[in-house]
Amino acid sequence: MEKNFILAGFGGQGILLAGTILANAFMLDDKNVTWYPCYGAEMRGGTVNCEVVVSDTEVSSVHKSNCDYALVLNQQSFDRFVKNVKSGGTIIANSTLVSESKPRDDIHYVFAPMGKLANELGTSKVTNVVSLGVLSSVIDFVSKDALKLAIEKVLGSKKKDLLPLNFKALESGSELIAKV
Amino acid sequence: MNNEKVLIKGNYAIAQAAINAGCQCYFGYPITPQTEIGEYLSGKMQELGRGYVCAESELAAINMVIGAVSTGVKAMTSSSSCAVALMQEALSYACSDELPVVLVNVMRAGPGLGYIYPAQGDYNQSVYGGGNGDYKIIVLAPSTVQECIDYTYKAFYLAHKYRNPVILLADGLLGQMMEPACFGEYPYPEIDNSSWALTGAKNRISRAIYSCARDEKKQINHINHLFEKFELISKNETEWEEFEIDDAEIILTAFGSMTRNIKAAMKVLRNKGIKAGCFRPITLNPFPHKRIYELASKGKDFAVVEMNMGQMFKDVKYAVNGNSNVGLINRPVGEWLKVEEIVSAVEKIMEKDYAASI
Repeated sequence: MEKNFILAGFGGQGILLAGTILANAFMLDDKNVTWYPCYGAEMRGGTVNCEVVVSDTEVSSVHKSNCDYALVLNQQSFDRFVKNVKSGGTIIANSTLVSESKPRDDIHYVFAPMGKLANELGTSKVTNVVSLGVLSSVIDFVSKDALKLAIEKVLGSKKKDLLPLNFKALESGSELIAKV
Repeated sequence: MNNEKVLIKGNYAIAQAAINAGCQCYFGYPITPQTEIGEYLSGKMQELGRGYVCAESELAAINMVIGAVSTGVKAMTSSSSCAVALMQEALSYACSDELPVVLVNVMRAGPGLGYIYPAQGDYNQSVYGGGNGDYKIIVLAPSTVQECIDYTYKAFYLAHKYRNPVILLADGLLGQMMEPACFGEYPYPEIDNSSWALTGAKNRISRAIYSCARDEKKQINHINHLFEKFELISKNETEWEEFEIDDAEIILTAFGSMTRNIKAAMKVLRNKGIKAGCFRPITLNPFPHKRIYELASKGKDFAVVEMNMGQMFKDVKYAVNGNSNVGLINRPVGEWLKVEEIVSAVEKIMEKDYAASI
């Protein structure tokens, strides 16, 4: 099995961090994984994306033409990447900033108000972790425990005080779709 | 020492591997997509009490490495394509002076300033060099983050074993991607440099390292000595990987991170009933000419897949020596050739359209 994800949003929404956490979680689940950022003259307010490829065997390549899952946090990213989702794939969108349109009928759509939930938790900064929670409820091959451990690993000892908020964001995110 | 798997960026992996290999001095100047190497080492080298200089230019950096390795210590610099171009003169000198310089090139697009997106356009620059005279650099091309670690270790070892510069030829894709990798321990023995290193002439006859022979005969002997050494390196150190070669009709050939894409393309082609194999030179210099010649002699065709206008293609063609057909599947710079693109290009090549350039 090889699955690839595109994560995209505004610069500053924590897309690369979310991708890093996801990739770490896959690694902790003993899978092969590659994380690849778009890099270059990116800036706050512009769009950022990264690709995460997970595989039971060797990861074949990054820079794939299409993805199994797109996790998009803003409208520009939705418009850009909805085309790249494989037929039968899924786009998961932050409906706080993305309008709930369905331009294709051969893919699955998950709209969840991630930004709104993050604000309710106290800060829009955790929208990225909320989105990982949502993702964990959509796919069955990443465990919430691995994501939790990955958050711990990535935030490290320096940002220990932020762990409870992020765990809460993950937990609430994973319950969000059931509520919607 | 450290068998834990960590998710790490290629650039950081190279930097930490250099530390583990015992690199005592790093000299460099920032350039995307390899700036993280210098960034990482700027802190770590200070913590470890080793040398770190952010040089005023790439020209200065490589010459600082020459100065440091002249004393027998391990030292390196890292840079990217257009800035590695500035270092060519020094590489010719270091080769002539038989100095164990380690240079990491995380390739970006050229020619000229080019841009920061990844490419593989420095094959010729690394393998054939832009410096003057007859010289050869050992060139290692990793394809995963794990190999960035393994071949950084090997770069230091080979440089000191043969007293010859080594280039680790990575690309922007490898430098920027994160993958799980293990550092383990530096697996090679330490090389004794005491017979030649400039360490102060107290209690011994003074030595000099220089690159000038006014006597023609001496210079001829020197070049012959260098080329005997290159012959030995070629005999001992030529390294490659091959997959599904035995029944293959066409062998996809790539170096560096493109290897991953040809392996994936090979699987797709096999599922379609096309007998495809993979061949990947790991040492670009010394190049596995002999093995390619053997395979070509059995009538196997080649398709070289690379992110440049056909640089390794020429070496494969030279090795094949007319014994079979060689096609080129390429794009100059930017987004790596996708598996689907490679598959359809190979199908065209199988229909004897050998210039299936994308």
